[in-house]
Amino acid sequence: MTHWIILPVMLPAMVAPFIILAARYHMSIQRVTTVASMIALIALAAGLAWQASDGTVTVYRLGDWAAPFGIVLVADKLSTMMVLLTAILGLIVSLYAIGSRWDEQGRHFHALLQFQIMGIMGAFLTGDLFNLFVFFEILLIASYGLMIHSGGNKRLRAGVQYVLFNLLGSTLFLFALAAIYAETGTLNMADLAERAQMVSADETVGLRIAAVLLILVFAVKAAVVPLHFWLPSSYAQAPGPVAALFAIMTKVGAYAIIRVYTMIFPPELEATAGLHTDWLLPAALISLALGMVGVLAAKTLDRLVAFSVIGSMGMVMTAVALFSEEAIAAALYYIIHSTLAAAALFLITDMIRQGRADLRLTAQAPVPGHLLIAGLFMTSAIAMAGLPPLSGFVGKLLILDASYASPLMPWVWSVILISSLIGIVGFARAGSTLFWKARSIETETAPEGTPPSALSAIAVGGLIALLIAHTVFAGPAYRYTAGAAAQLFAPEAYIDTVLNTPGKLSPKTEEN
Amino acid sequence: MELLVASAIGAMTAGGIYLMLRLRTFPVILGIAMLTYAVNVFLFASGRLTVGSAPVLREGVTNYADPLPQALALTAIVISFGMTAVVVMIALGSYLGSNDDHVNDPAEPDAEDRT
Amino acid sequence: MSLFLIVALPFLGALLPGLMNSAGRAACAGVTFTITLIAFVGLLTNLPAVLAGELVTAGVPWLPGLGLNVTFMLDGLGFFFACLILGIGLLIITYARYYLAREDNMGEFFTYLLLFQGAMVGIVMSDNILLLLIFWELTSLSSFLLIGYWKHLPAGRQGARMALAVTGMGGLAMIGGMMILGNIVGSFELSVILQNKELIQASPLYLPALILILLGCFTKSAQFPFHFWLPHAMAAPTPVSAYLHSATMVKAGIFLMARMWSVLSGTPEWFILVTSAGLITMVLGAVIALFKHDLKALLAFSTVSHLGLITMLLGTGTAFGAMAAMFHILNHATFKAALFMAAGIVDHETKTRDIRILGGLRTLMPITFAITTLGALSMAGIPLLNGFLSKEMMLEEANRTALFNAPWLVPALATIGSLFSAAYCFRLIGHTFLGPVRESYPAKPHDPSIGLWGPPALLMIPVIAIGIAPFLAEPFVKLVTASVLGGEAEVPKAYFKIWHGLVPALYMSIVAVVGGLLLMIIYKPLQAGWDAVPRPEAKTIFDALVRAITSAARGFTHGLHNGAFTRYGAIFTLAVVGAGYYAYASGTVLPTTRAMSPIEIVPAAGWAMLVAATIGLMLLHRNRLMSLIMVSIVGLIVSVGFVYFSAPDLAMTQLTVDVVTLVLLLLALNFLPNRTPVESSAVLRLRDGAVAAIGGLAATAMAYHYLMRDAVETPISAFHVANSYKGGGGTNVVNVILVDFRGFDTYGEIIVLGIAALLIYALTETLLNGPVRARLLNRKPDQARAGDMHPMMMVVLTRVMMPVVLMVGFYIFLRGHNEPGGGFIAGLVVSIAVVMQYMASGLAWANARIRYPYHGVIGTGVLVAGLCGIGSWLVAKPFMTTDFTYVRIPPFNEFELATALVFDLGVFLTVVGAVMLSLESFSRLARRAHVPDTDYPMDIDPSRDDPPEPPAPQPNLKEGV
Repeated sequence: MTHWIILPVMLPAMVAPFIILAARYHMSIQRVTTVASMIALIALAAGLAWQASDGTVTVYRLGDWAAPFGIVLVADKLSTMMVLLTAILGLIVSLYAIGSRWDEQGRHFHALLQFQIMGIMGAFLTGDLFNLFVFFEILLIASYGLMIHSGGNKRLRAGVQYVLFNLLGSTLFLFALAAIYAETGTLNMADLAERAQMVSADETVGLRIAAVLLILVFAVKAAVVPLHFWLPSSYAQAPGPVAALFAIMTKVGAYAIIRVYTMIFPPELEATAGLHTDWLLPAALISLALGMVGVLAAKTLDRLVAFSVIGSMGMVMTAVALFSEEAIAAALYYIIHSTLAAAALFLITDMIRQGRADLRLTAQAPVPGHLLIAGLFMTSAIAMAGLPPLSGFVGKLLILDASYASPLMPWVWSVILISSLIGIVGFARAGSTLFWKARSIETETAPEGTPPSALSAIAVGGLIALLIAHTVFAGPAYRYTAGAAAQLFAPEAYIDTVLNTPGKLSPKTEEN
Repeated sequence: MELLVASAIGAMTAGGIYLMLRLRTFPVILGIAMLTYAVNVFLFASGRLTVGSAPVLREGVTNYADPLPQALALTAIVISFGMTAVVVMIALGSYLGSNDDHVNDPAEPDAEDRT
Repeated sequence: MSLFLIVALPFLGALLPGLMNSAGRAACAGVTFTITLIAFVGLLTNLPAVLAGELVTAGVPWLPGLGLNVTFMLDGLGFFFACLILGIGLLIITYARYYLAREDNMGEFFTYLLLFQGAMVGIVMSDNILLLLIFWELTSLSSFLLIGYWKHLPAGRQGARMALAVTGMGGLAMIGGMMILGNIVGSFELSVILQNKELIQASPLYLPALILILLGCFTKSAQFPFHFWLPHAMAAPTPVSAYLHSATMVKAGIFLMARMWSVLSGTPEWFILVTSAGLITMVLGAVIALFKHDLKALLAFSTVSHLGLITMLLGTGTAFGAMAAMFHILNHATFKAALFMAAGIVDHETKTRDIRILGGLRTLMPITFAITTLGALSMAGIPLLNGFLSKEMMLEEANRTALFNAPWLVPALATIGSLFSAAYCFRLIGHTFLGPVRESYPAKPHDPSIGLWGPPALLMIPVIAIGIAPFLAEPFVKLVTASVLGGEAEVPKAYFKIWHGLVPALYMSIVAVVGGLLLMIIYKPLQAGWDAVPRPEAKTIFDALVRAITSAARGFTHGLHNGAFTRYGAIFTLAVVGAGYYAYASGTVLPTTRAMSPIEIVPAAGWAMLVAATIGLMLLHRNRLMSLIMVSIVGLIVSVGFVYFSAPDLAMTQLTVDVVTLVLLLLALNFLPNRTPVESSAVLRLRDGAVAAIGGLAATAMAYHYLMRDAVETPISAFHVANSYKGGGGTNVVNVILVDFRGFDTYGEIIVLGIAALLIYALTETLLNGPVRARLLNRKPDQARAGDMHPMMMVVLTRVMMPVVLMVGFYIFLRGHNEPGGGFIAGLVVSIAVVMQYMASGLAWANARIRYPYHGVIGTGVLVAGLCGIGSWLVAKPFMTTDFTYVRIPPFNEFELATALVFDLGVFLTVVGAVMLSLESFSRLARRAHVPDTDYPMDIDPSRDDPPEPPAPQPNLKEGV
């Protein structure tokens, strides 16, 4: 059987200890290794995505134990798409971290980065709920390390809250898993999907509680109001490249919700009927509004961007919460967009930080290389605020169109449209203060700080290029996400492949 | 017996939550530790309770405590140990840096109203 | 030329000026001009087709899944507007080349200008309304950039933001409207939508869609009550004002109303909304314009007024009205662009636009005077100029229109509007050019070079030509009108001519002109009166609104996200419990299926202890050492409980982990204050207690629910029990699950441990290389020190025990597969053994005897575990496939060798490395903290004589203090 599926997890998992063992004191080796492995990851992920693009679901049995008894990794359209996105983001982030010399400002940046990537990859690929928890923990603990990378009081204080809040989340995750095992006696997602059907209509409490606890866990990750409080300070305080990498972590939560609540607890499942579907949409709309209001309210650029992340996650979750095939397709398209846009904004924020006393939205002398930075900022702000011509606008149209049939359509539309107006005003205010008003300040002395290095500029430029590509090739991109959504809403293939692939001592049929 | 275990879980949870809502990092960390105990017991109990059965496979014995939740709980214990160590360290670092071990972190704006 | 190319040219060309900035101003302007010219010629190549009345189209799919496609169409209407955009564009570019100052960044300017041009052409040519929306918002964006072009001017920035906010708002509303429209019809292609008038007007969503679309049009075309942004957009350089804010962009709204006329118009809603908005705007704009002293402000309001006129004509919903509207668009574009450029010339030459300090320029700037006079008279509706003709048609249409069943209303207002419009035209001429020459101009006025006056002069040709020979324009205007009507109505037969006979419209004109002259005569008192009357200033209202919203947003956001973790935690708990309760309350439940096992005395006692310890913890938590003890008691009882419920592995793990955790917390407590001050009020504590109680009860109920019921089907662990020995070669199922069935979890788990250690190490490094180091060095222990740092008893004992404990660890490791134990527990045991050395003999002593760096140990452990997994690839098995065999080495009994053992070794190494690295990092902090530690195992601490420091007070220090 092919081992390709596990490589996105194993490659970083092997590279990291290598860095620790062999290259602990050689920054150059670390950098080369990281970049090389990231490029390899992209190649791998692209291969997997290509393999999955024709709808085949590939299962990898760890320890050769068949599901549900062992752990399996599953590659379908959705997971491979997310894996590819992660790999690309990983390369860009590491390029920027190298270009901006962030990686030198503390120990073990590259090792932690590798582990972080490993955790995210595993979370996307695993087909087992408890294994998902383990990978959540890996990506979380690595993120703690990255978030407080290079220390600093503000950062550490924000870090404490970030860690504490996520520990609460992990505890909740364990409660949910225990409840699920107690109710169904299994942990494999496909198996769960089948056992959830067996729950009798007059004994639904157990399953319902398990389902709701689980969605809350993922909602924490996805920063859905009122479980979003961990996000603003930690994203604002995290080092630029790290914050950019975090752009994918919120998506892990969204991914998990999409996966679990289309396959295990689909909307049409009677036992959990009217459970998450009723609550998620309002919460998502509130998150969207709250995020964009935060953009308008922010007094520092880093918090502005952090709130815009909450907003765009609200947008994603709004689409997800409709739990219809085309809505999920739109959500997936938007997830890609929002990841790229958020990452770009965080990196640009970091560029500005390099050249400025602080990130307060006040007129200060133009940052070095401000023409370039202004251009980049404008572009990614347009993308984030959902203005044409970039993918944010296309995604917004997709989501609006998908929600046309929903009974809550007036709410959805007005919240989306009004909040994007607020966002536009907020971004316009910030941009004109940062880049235009700055011009009115005459400075004889050259501004302190350094212009972004070529590598950093390339990294951000890459993100912008990807955003443009995501817009120009919206057709194919949407076709792929629509395919992924279709696969999600016909989970039989997935379930059969997972459960009917025999392994070691399989009770069904002995292997070979 | 089930009632005892359930209420014990509840008691630990309550204690954990109460400490988690304190204002200084140290009690909050202890609170998280308590919550961890609670959840590990619950995780273990998700295999239902069996008293006095063989821990390992023996000839002729058929009734075993459900091993899977034990394995899961074991993993959970280890992971939460790592997490505790980390949070203690970060809290310590933040305290040493700012000589202040409040968990609450009155965010930026106050500092910025100067503008 | 293909429509694609016509639209794409400006966008592609937009790059050039920016890049050619260094090549000089002429080059920038030149390349821009050329691009526009090519596009213009390309447009003209489609003229025959358009005249032949056919629909030129081009299209490729973009996002078919949504129905968003790049499709263009060119009919009379589109052609007309495209001509205006590109034709006037050529003039503007020439004009701007000479208008902009040397220090202005010309490349940037022309880049934005081309972007705008492309977007505008895109609007008028789009067939797909979603595509149209994209171009629509693009014009808002590019106008934002152009208005804010002079970045140092606050007026520019504010005007730009206001314009973006207002038009952006309209644009978003329009998105809604267009999507509704498209969903009603089932297609986003205009060519389809325009065929479905009945379907649309029958739909219940017609009104919302109409309102939303009109919002977009009104904001863009500065219709009341959204007119206020336009005057503030005048902070832009004059070429921009002439181009965007009089000739083209502000007509986009009009264009869209014309485009949609054939499907949206004809209903009472349309009639009332559009006509009244148009009327109000027309009158209001005209009145305000009369009293503006800034030339550009005057022209801006006159633009507003004329846009209102056109809107009103479209609102009537008659074919004649539509024709008049089209005709007036043409005329207005010509004379208004010219007037703006002339105003720009005056500004450029005299360095002021204030009418009050101008006047008497007639002789100084004859050419400018001539242009302005012709343009203004045309605008005032004086015969033999094109403005007169469309104004007549407007008045004629007004006569036929009865709004709110009041036949007099529309004509009266129309007359007043044109009366004031005549008045401000006369004022424009009179107060700027006539009258005595002044000495006090800020600069010496004289006519500029032809570069500046040429373009407006060219515009005077159509003004006069059409004015004298209206039949020249007639066929074209009728062609355009035909495409507006889209077969919904017949193009009116009416001929364009100057003399219609003594019709009411003529009298109304005369009234207007004469009245205008009269107003000029009594202007001064009028002005005084106007200034006396208090008026709401749109900008102040808008700013106040924005400020209010912003501060509200700030209050909300910063109030909610105040960094209070305690509150976040409470919200988290309540949210979880609440959601859980909802799930419970809305579900169904049956009586329990499992029998409660009998309560025995020992566990009951344990339970009591646990609860007591928990309560004690809650009460005594301020004494941190005490609280540690309480937590340890809880942990101990939990471990014992695990033993009781036949889970020895779990118990061993819990126990060892607790020991290490305790050491760790003690090390931390060494730095942290050892008491928690009382800070929260009793009320707060009560609240927290309540939250805690709720959470506790919920947990109890949930646990009880599951404990008393069976799973829906046999748990998968049955398989593990059945196959543990057969497939995993171990009788300790838990361990086999850990290293085999679910080895991947364990792999992840040790990685978590490894990361934790790395993180702790990295942070320690950062702290010790940072400012914290000094604090640590100067820190005095706040507790009395023990006399001897390394008590002899302990030293001796630990050293004796060391090998024993190591032996035990090794044993536990080996038996793990079949008996309780395993790599993890073994690792902890061994590390405890080492920790004891640290505690007993001191860091330096122990470190001196450590051969392998813990980093290495961790790395090796993770690698070993990973490689052990990868190893199974060699035998073409999946990751971590295990195998085992039984070997017998005399004299030992037969024993088992399993590949899982190698994996367990990795676990073991990682655990040891991780635990040691973390503890070592902590103690390194401690070590730097006071006297440097000696290498001698047993010694006396000199610092014992220092009096212990009183516990430092804990002021809640803010950042940076």
